[in-house]
Amino acid sequence: MTHPQVRVDPDLPEFLWDSDGVEAAPPPARRPAKARDGHTPGEAGLWIFILGDMTLFAAILIVFLWERRSDPVVFEESAHQLIQPIGAANTLVLVLSSYLVVRAVVAHRAGRYPRARRLVAAAVSCAAVFAGLKAFEYYSAISSGHTPSSGTFFTFYFVLTGLHLLHVIVGTALLLVWQAMLKRRRSWTGSQKVAEGIASYWHMVDLLWVAIFTLVYLVSAE
Amino acid sequence: MLTNRILVLCAWAGPATVVVAMIGWLIAGVLPVPLGSESSVEAVVSFYSHDTRVIAGLVISTIGVSLVFPLIAVIAVFMVRMEGRTPILAFLQLITGAATGVCLLLPLLLMTTIAFRPDRSPELTMTLNDIAWLLFITPIAPFIIQNVAIGVAILNDKRQTLPRWVGYVNFWIAFSFIPDPLAFFFHSGPFAWRGIFIFWLALTTYSVFLVVMGLTLRKAIRESADLDVSAVAAAAA
Repeated sequence: MTHPQVRVDPDLPEFLWDSDGVEAAPPPARRPAKARDGHTPGEAGLWIFILGDMTLFAAILIVFLWERRSDPVVFEESAHQLIQPIGAANTLVLVLSSYLVVRAVVAHRAGRYPRARRLVAAAVSCAAVFAGLKAFEYYSAISSGHTPSSGTFFTFYFVLTGLHLLHVIVGTALLLVWQAMLKRRRSWTGSQKVAEGIASYWHMVDLLWVAIFTLVYLVSAE
Repeated sequence: MLTNRILVLCAWAGPATVVVAMIGWLIAGVLPVPLGSESSVEAVVSFYSHDTRVIAGLVISTIGVSLVFPLIAVIAVFMVRMEGRTPILAFLQLITGAATGVCLLLPLLLMTTIAFRPDRSPELTMTLNDIAWLLFITPIAPFIIQNVAIGVAILNDKRQTLPRWVGYVNFWIAFSFIPDPLAFFFHSGPFAWRGIFIFWLALTTYSVFLVVMGLTLRKAIRESADLDVSAVAAAAA
């Protein structure tokens, strides 16, 4: 094996040093991996993001419930304007997609790449169905005169479901990244962190929707 | 080493940004309760009528906010180390970080200008105050891009120059800024510019960004200095 000649010029930053176009091997990790008991899905740092994200949604939902106390009648009337069957269908669609993601993790771990790819593709189609139904729901709400500025209930409805839809879009992009990894047959050992991280993120998206559906569609309509 | 001392100083500029800017805002009266979009004309005019105190506080806060620039520089140095030959994310972080700093400075200078002639027509003061606050709160895209660039660079870095959780914290901070443009749509409530999900959330997570980046970089600088020392010792032996 021949090593590329690198002309080291200490006056220039490392990235301007002249090498023969060959990437140098990364130096060994500076932080030794800590031995741990038990297994954290993805990695510990990911859970800072997931818990932080859920805390933010929880805060918005708490303020929503707080505002509802001052005007329960208007909140009830407004909640009845939402199309509950669509919300329920979307809940089922996301729960199904979460199940598909679990199966995909199992298939990837077992090295069954084509099967894992099909399962991830099915989860992506669930996300597409969710987004389609959501778009129809927005369309019917706006065409019957309910916009984000028509009352506190609809402000929260659009903000919560909009932020959630953004998470669905980001999650779909992540599922497609995973799909690409499966296409290249990336082994489980090399991709466990990423695959489990994406799966955990997707479960969070599902869990957030269950909370939003329960509080905005069902509890408010009581 | 002098370079290391400068790096440490730049890292401490992160937490210092929070402290100095907060002191300035407390003197000016921007904190603890800022003007809101629902504030009356009288309240807005009376805020700027304490012109000397308001101007002094705002000038201190512009100095405070500018301390973010050394932090951006030291983040860039470490991102160059992470990325190696093609540090595109480091450059992206530099550009968007500089833009964010300017977006924070300009509204504060505008507020100082409002306090410069407090006896003008109240309607003008009201309009200028709206411009200042909406400019302050809503231009979030540069900062979100900066956070994502830092996060991606940290997670792609095999050497783990910075701990990986810092990358995830950056993604979370980026997410917390997304509601801010709602300040254009609401004049009161939690999504107006003074609401808890706009001003207060952004203030909290921006402070988290400045403190976390400052402290983790300071630790990384110390660790790399230790490595340099041991490398010299090994070479001498």
